[in-house]
Amino acid sequence: MNAVTAAAGTASRTLAVFVSLSLLSLSASTPSPAAVEDPRLLARAIVAAADNRAAPFAVVDKKNARVFVFDAAGRLQGSSPVLLGLARGDDSVPGIGEREMSRIRPDERTTPAGRFKTEPGRNTKGEDIVWIDYDAAVSMHRVRTTDSSEHRLQRLASPSVADNRISYGCINVPAAFYDAYIKPVLGSRRGVVYVLPETVAPHQRFEFLSQPA
Amino acid sequence: MNSTSRLIAALALGAAGAAFAQGNPPTTAPPNPATAAGQQNPAGGPMGTTGVTPQSPQTGSAPSSSAPTAQGSTDTGSSAGTTMAASGDTPAMRRARADRN
Repeated sequence: MNAVTAAAGTASRTLAVFVSLSLLSLSASTPSPAAVEDPRLLARAIVAAADNRAAPFAVVDKKNARVFVFDAAGRLQGSSPVLLGLARGDDSVPGIGEREMSRIRPDERTTPAGRFKTEPGRNTKGEDIVWIDYDAAVSMHRVRTTDSSEHRLQRLASPSVADNRISYGCINVPAAFYDAYIKPVLGSRRGVVYVLPETVAPHQRFEFLSQPA
Repeated sequence: MNSTSRLIAALALGAAGAAFAQGNPPTTAPPNPATAAGQQNPAGGPMGTTGVTPQSPQTGSAPSSSAPTAQGSTDTGSSAGTTMAASGDTPAMRRARADRN
Protein backbone atom coordinates (compact mmCIF):
# COMPACT_ATOMS: atom_id res chain seq x y z
CA MET A 1 0.00 0.00 0.00
CA ASN A 2 2.85 2.37 0.87
CA ALA A 3 4.47 1.49 -2.42
CA VAL A 4 1.28 2.43 -4.22
CA THR A 5 1.13 5.79 -2.42
CA ALA A 6 4.76 6.52 -3.20
CA ALA A 7 4.28 5.68 -6.87
CA ALA A 8 1.24 7.91 -7.09
CA GLY A 9 3.14 10.73 -5.42
CA THR A 10 6.02 10.46 -7.86
CA ALA A 11 3.63 10.41 -10.79
CA SER A 12 1.85 13.48 -9.44
CA ARG A 13 5.12 15.39 -9.19
CA THR A 14 6.03 14.35 -12.72
CA LEU A 15 2.65 15.53 -13.92
CA ALA A 16 3.08 18.85 -12.12
CA VAL A 17 6.44 19.37 -13.83
CA PHE A 18 4.85 18.59 -17.21
CA VAL A 19 2.02 21.02 -16.63
CA SER A 20 4.41 23.75 -15.46
CA LEU A 21 6.60 23.28 -18.51
CA SER A 22 3.54 23.40 -20.74
CA LEU A 23 2.35 26.63 -19.15
CA LEU A 24 5.82 28.11 -19.51
CA SER A 25 5.81 27.13 -23.16
CA LEU A 26 2.43 28.77 -23.65
CA SER A 27 3.51 32.00 -21.98
CA ALA A 28 6.70 32.11 -24.04
CA SER A 29 4.92 31.86 -27.38
CA THR A 30 1.92 34.04 -26.61
CA PRO A 31 2.91 37.42 -25.20
CA SER A 32 0.52 38.84 -22.65
CA PRO A 33 -1.57 41.90 -23.64
CA ALA A 34 0.66 44.13 -21.54
CA ALA A 35 3.83 42.61 -22.96
CA VAL A 36 2.99 43.41 -26.57
CA GLU A 37 3.39 47.08 -25.78
CA ASP A 38 7.06 46.22 -26.11
CA PRO A 39 7.78 46.55 -29.85
CA ARG A 40 10.07 43.54 -29.84
CA LEU A 41 7.42 41.29 -28.34
CA LEU A 42 4.81 42.73 -30.67
CA ALA A 43 7.13 41.92 -33.57
CA ARG A 44 7.38 38.35 -32.32
CA ALA A 45 3.59 38.09 -32.22
CA ILE A 46 3.34 39.62 -35.70
CA VAL A 47 5.67 37.03 -37.19
CA ALA A 48 4.08 34.17 -35.24
CA ALA A 49 0.70 35.14 -36.71
CA ALA A 50 2.26 35.64 -40.17
CA ASP A 51 0.55 39.03 -40.13
CA ASN A 52 3.50 40.63 -41.92
CA ARG A 53 3.03 38.27 -44.90
CA ALA A 54 6.72 37.32 -44.83
CA ALA A 55 7.77 40.91 -45.45
CA PRO A 56 9.86 43.36 -43.45
CA PHE A 57 7.86 45.76 -41.30
CA ALA A 58 8.11 48.62 -38.83
CA VAL A 59 6.61 49.25 -35.41
CA VAL A 60 6.06 52.75 -34.06
CA ASP A 61 6.00 53.04 -30.29
CA LYS A 62 4.09 56.26 -29.66
CA LYS A 63 4.53 56.20 -25.89
CA ASN A 64 8.29 56.20 -26.25
CA ALA A 65 8.40 58.07 -29.58
CA ARG A 66 10.52 55.49 -31.39
CA VAL A 67 10.32 53.50 -34.58
CA PHE A 68 11.65 49.96 -34.86
CA VAL A 69 12.40 48.30 -38.19
CA PHE A 70 12.32 44.51 -38.40
CA ASP A 71 13.20 42.08 -41.13
CA ALA A 72 10.71 39.51 -42.37
CA ALA A 73 11.66 37.11 -39.59
CA GLY A 74 11.12 39.71 -36.89
CA ARG A 75 14.77 40.43 -36.25
CA LEU A 76 15.38 44.02 -35.23
CA GLN A 77 17.32 45.92 -37.90
CA GLY A 78 17.37 49.35 -36.31
CA SER A 79 15.46 51.82 -34.19
CA SER A 80 15.35 55.58 -33.85
CA PRO A 81 13.54 58.39 -32.06
CA VAL A 82 10.73 59.94 -34.08
CA LEU A 83 8.50 62.99 -33.90
CA LEU A 84 4.77 62.39 -33.71
CA GLY A 85 1.51 64.28 -33.76
CA LEU A 86 1.18 66.96 -31.11
CA ALA A 87 -2.09 65.68 -29.66
CA ARG A 88 -2.55 62.51 -27.69
CA GLY A 89 -4.98 60.15 -29.39
CA ASP A 90 -5.15 57.13 -31.65
CA ASP A 91 -7.59 58.22 -34.33
CA SER A 92 -7.63 60.77 -37.13
CA VAL A 93 -10.43 63.27 -37.23
CA PRO A 94 -12.71 62.39 -40.17
CA GLY A 95 -11.88 64.41 -43.25
CA ILE A 96 -8.69 65.82 -41.81
CA GLY A 97 -6.75 64.77 -44.87
CA GLU A 98 -8.64 67.27 -46.97
CA ARG A 99 -8.10 70.22 -44.66
CA GLU A 100 -5.40 72.82 -44.89
CA MET A 101 -2.82 72.65 -42.14
CA SER A 102 -3.81 76.08 -40.89
CA ARG A 103 -7.31 74.79 -40.21
CA ILE A 104 -6.23 71.86 -38.06
CA ARG A 105 -6.65 72.53 -34.37
CA PRO A 106 -3.92 71.48 -31.90
CA ASP A 107 -6.14 68.79 -30.39
CA GLU A 108 -6.65 67.29 -33.85
CA ARG A 109 -2.95 66.78 -34.52
CA THR A 110 -2.95 63.08 -33.73
CA THR A 111 -0.91 60.22 -35.14
CA PRO A 112 -3.38 57.38 -35.71
CA ALA A 113 -2.64 53.94 -34.29
CA GLY A 114 -3.21 50.53 -35.80
CA ARG A 115 -2.04 48.35 -38.66
CA PHE A 116 -1.41 50.33 -41.82
CA LYS A 117 -0.66 49.09 -45.30
CA THR A 118 1.93 51.56 -46.46
CA GLU A 119 2.90 52.64 -49.92
CA PRO A 120 5.68 54.78 -51.30
CA GLY A 121 4.64 58.16 -52.59
CA ARG A 122 5.42 61.82 -53.01
CA ASN A 123 4.02 64.95 -51.45
CA THR A 124 3.23 68.11 -53.34
CA LYS A 125 6.80 69.34 -52.88
CA GLY A 126 8.14 66.30 -54.71
CA GLU A 127 9.64 64.71 -51.61
CA ASP A 128 9.67 60.92 -51.51
CA ILE A 129 7.71 59.73 -48.50
CA VAL A 130 5.96 56.64 -47.18
CA TRP A 131 2.21 56.95 -46.91
CA ILE A 132 0.92 55.52 -43.66
CA ASP A 133 -2.67 56.62 -44.31
CA TYR A 134 -3.04 58.34 -47.66
CA ASP A 135 -6.63 59.44 -47.08
CA ALA A 136 -5.77 61.04 -43.75
CA ALA A 137 -2.56 62.47 -45.26
CA VAL A 138 -0.38 60.79 -42.66
CA SER A 139 3.08 59.86 -43.85
CA MET A 140 6.48 58.85 -42.58
CA HIS A 141 9.20 61.14 -43.87
CA ARG A 142 12.57 62.69 -43.13
CA VAL A 143 12.41 65.27 -40.36
CA ARG A 144 11.56 68.71 -41.67
CA THR A 145 13.18 71.88 -40.46
CA THR A 146 11.23 74.39 -42.52
CA ASP A 147 9.81 76.03 -39.40
CA SER A 148 12.84 76.75 -37.24
CA SER A 149 10.65 77.79 -34.32
CA GLU A 150 9.56 74.17 -33.91
CA HIS A 151 13.12 73.01 -33.16
CA ARG A 152 12.45 69.60 -34.63
CA LEU A 153 16.07 68.49 -34.77
CA GLN A 154 16.61 69.48 -31.15
CA ARG A 155 13.48 67.61 -30.15
CA LEU A 156 14.74 64.47 -31.87
CA ALA A 157 18.11 64.79 -30.20
CA SER A 158 16.84 65.40 -26.67
CA PRO A 159 16.46 62.44 -24.31
CA SER A 160 12.94 63.55 -23.39
CA VAL A 161 9.96 61.85 -25.00
CA ALA A 162 7.43 64.57 -24.23
CA ASP A 163 8.97 67.07 -26.62
CA ASN A 164 8.75 64.62 -29.52
CA ARG A 165 5.11 65.54 -30.01
CA ILE A 166 5.11 68.37 -32.50
CA SER A 167 3.87 67.28 -35.94
CA TYR A 168 0.38 67.47 -37.42
CA GLY A 169 0.20 63.68 -37.45
CA CYS A 170 3.08 62.60 -39.64
CA ILE A 171 5.95 60.53 -38.34
CA ASN A 172 9.22 62.44 -38.67
CA VAL A 173 12.34 60.28 -38.84
CA PRO A 174 15.98 61.41 -38.76
CA ALA A 175 17.10 61.73 -42.37
CA ALA A 176 20.01 59.30 -42.02
CA PHE A 177 17.80 56.66 -40.44
CA TYR A 178 15.14 57.16 -43.10
CA ASP A 179 17.63 56.62 -45.90
CA ALA A 180 19.31 53.66 -44.21
CA TYR A 181 16.30 51.74 -42.88
CA ILE A 182 12.91 53.15 -43.87
CA LYS A 183 13.47 53.78 -47.54
CA PRO A 184 14.96 50.32 -48.33
CA VAL A 185 12.10 48.55 -46.55
CA LEU A 186 9.09 50.75 -47.25
CA GLY A 187 10.21 53.26 -49.86
CA SER A 188 9.87 51.15 -53.00
CA ARG A 189 7.07 48.70 -52.31
CA ARG A 190 3.96 48.24 -50.27
CA GLY A 191 4.59 47.35 -46.66
CA VAL A 192 3.10 47.25 -43.21
CA VAL A 193 3.60 49.61 -40.30
CA TYR A 194 2.17 48.90 -36.87
CA VAL A 195 1.56 51.99 -34.75
CA LEU A 196 1.09 51.07 -31.12
CA PRO A 197 -1.84 52.91 -29.52
CA GLU A 198 -1.46 55.15 -26.51
CA THR A 199 -5.05 55.37 -25.30
CA VAL A 200 -6.27 51.79 -25.73
CA ALA A 201 -4.80 48.30 -25.37
CA PRO A 202 -2.84 46.94 -28.35
CA HIS A 203 -5.24 44.05 -28.93
CA GLN A 204 -7.98 46.58 -29.64
CA ARG A 205 -6.03 47.74 -32.70
CA PHE A 206 -4.35 44.55 -33.83
CA GLU A 207 -6.73 41.72 -34.67
CA PHE A 208 -4.05 39.08 -34.78
CA LEU A 209 -3.49 39.52 -31.04
CA SER A 210 -7.03 38.36 -30.37
CA GLN A 211 -6.81 35.27 -32.55
CA PRO A 212 -6.11 31.92 -30.91
CA ALA A 213 -2.53 30.70 -31.25
CA MET B 1 -3.87 1.96 -9.11
CA ASN B 2 -3.57 0.99 -12.73
CA SER B 3 -6.40 3.32 -13.68
CA THR B 4 -4.72 6.16 -11.75
CA SER B 5 -1.44 5.59 -13.55
CA ARG B 6 -3.16 5.47 -16.91
CA LEU B 7 -5.01 8.69 -16.12
CA ILE B 8 -1.77 10.43 -15.12
CA ALA B 9 0.00 9.16 -18.21
CA ALA B 10 -2.82 10.40 -20.43
CA LEU B 11 -2.75 13.84 -18.81
CA ALA B 12 1.01 14.03 -19.15
CA LEU B 13 0.79 13.06 -22.80
CA GLY B 14 -1.86 15.72 -23.39
CA ALA B 15 0.22 18.37 -21.67
CA ALA B 16 3.25 17.43 -23.73
CA GLY B 17 1.19 17.62 -26.89
CA ALA B 18 0.00 21.10 -25.96
CA ALA B 19 3.57 22.15 -25.38
CA PHE B 20 4.79 20.80 -28.71
CA ALA B 21 1.95 22.46 -30.57
CA GLN B 22 3.10 25.96 -29.65
CA GLY B 23 5.87 26.33 -32.21
CA ASN B 24 5.76 28.87 -35.00
CA PRO B 25 3.51 27.71 -37.82
CA PRO B 26 5.23 26.88 -41.09
CA THR B 27 5.13 29.65 -43.62
CA THR B 28 2.77 29.10 -46.49
CA ALA B 29 4.36 31.85 -48.53
CA PRO B 30 7.82 30.81 -49.75
CA PRO B 31 10.16 33.76 -50.18
CA ASN B 32 10.70 32.84 -53.80
CA PRO B 33 7.74 31.02 -55.35
CA ALA B 34 9.70 30.05 -58.44
CA THR B 35 12.40 28.36 -56.41
CA ALA B 36 9.89 26.68 -54.15
CA ALA B 37 8.12 25.20 -57.14
CA GLY B 38 11.38 24.00 -58.61
CA GLN B 39 10.94 26.28 -61.59
CA GLN B 40 13.73 28.69 -61.99
CA ASN B 41 15.77 29.87 -64.89
CA PRO B 42 19.37 29.08 -63.96
CA ALA B 43 20.49 32.10 -65.94
CA GLY B 44 18.42 34.36 -63.75
CA GLY B 45 16.06 35.50 -66.48
CA PRO B 46 12.32 35.00 -66.68
CA MET B 47 10.89 31.54 -67.32
CA GLY B 48 10.74 30.59 -70.96
CA THR B 49 14.03 32.21 -71.79
CA THR B 50 16.36 29.54 -70.47
CA GLY B 51 19.57 29.62 -72.37
CA VAL B 52 19.40 33.33 -73.00
CA THR B 53 21.58 34.97 -70.45
CA PRO B 54 20.09 38.25 -69.33
CA GLN B 55 23.48 39.90 -69.37
CA SER B 56 24.33 38.89 -72.93
CA PRO B 57 23.35 42.22 -74.49
CA GLN B 58 25.35 43.96 -71.82
CA THR B 59 28.97 43.92 -70.93
CA GLY B 60 31.20 44.14 -67.91
CA SER B 61 29.62 44.10 -64.49
CA ALA B 62 26.04 44.69 -65.58
CA PRO B 63 24.69 41.39 -64.17
CA SER B 64 25.37 42.56 -60.65
CA SER B 65 23.36 45.74 -61.01
CA SER B 66 20.32 44.77 -58.98
CA ALA B 67 21.10 41.81 -56.75
CA PRO B 68 23.83 43.38 -54.61
CA THR B 69 21.55 46.27 -53.76
CA ALA B 70 19.04 43.96 -52.18
CA GLN B 71 21.67 41.82 -50.49
CA GLY B 72 23.37 44.82 -49.02
CA SER B 73 20.71 45.55 -46.44
CA THR B 74 19.98 42.26 -44.71
CA ASP B 75 20.44 38.61 -45.38
CA THR B 76 16.68 38.17 -45.73
CA GLY B 77 16.14 41.42 -47.54
CA SER B 78 16.88 40.00 -50.94
CA SER B 79 14.44 37.14 -50.69
CA ALA B 80 11.74 39.36 -49.23
CA GLY B 81 12.26 41.88 -51.96
CA THR B 82 11.94 39.18 -54.58
CA THR B 83 8.74 37.98 -52.99
CA MET B 84 7.18 41.40 -52.88
CA ALA B 85 8.17 42.26 -56.42
CA ALA B 86 7.04 38.90 -57.74
CA SER B 87 3.65 39.27 -56.10
CA GLY B 88 3.02 42.67 -57.64
CA ASP B 89 3.54 44.71 -54.50
CA THR B 90 5.37 47.47 -56.29
CA PRO B 91 2.44 49.85 -56.63
CA ALA B 92 1.76 52.55 -59.13
CA MET B 93 2.37 55.72 -57.17
CA ARG B 94 -0.74 57.63 -56.19
CA ARG B 95 -1.27 61.27 -56.90
CA ALA B 96 1.06 63.53 -54.96
CA ARG B 97 -0.67 65.34 -52.16
CA ALA B 98 0.21 67.40 -49.12
CA ASP B 99 0.91 65.43 -45.98
CA ARG B 100 0.46 66.43 -42.36
CA ASN B 101 4.06 67.43 -41.88
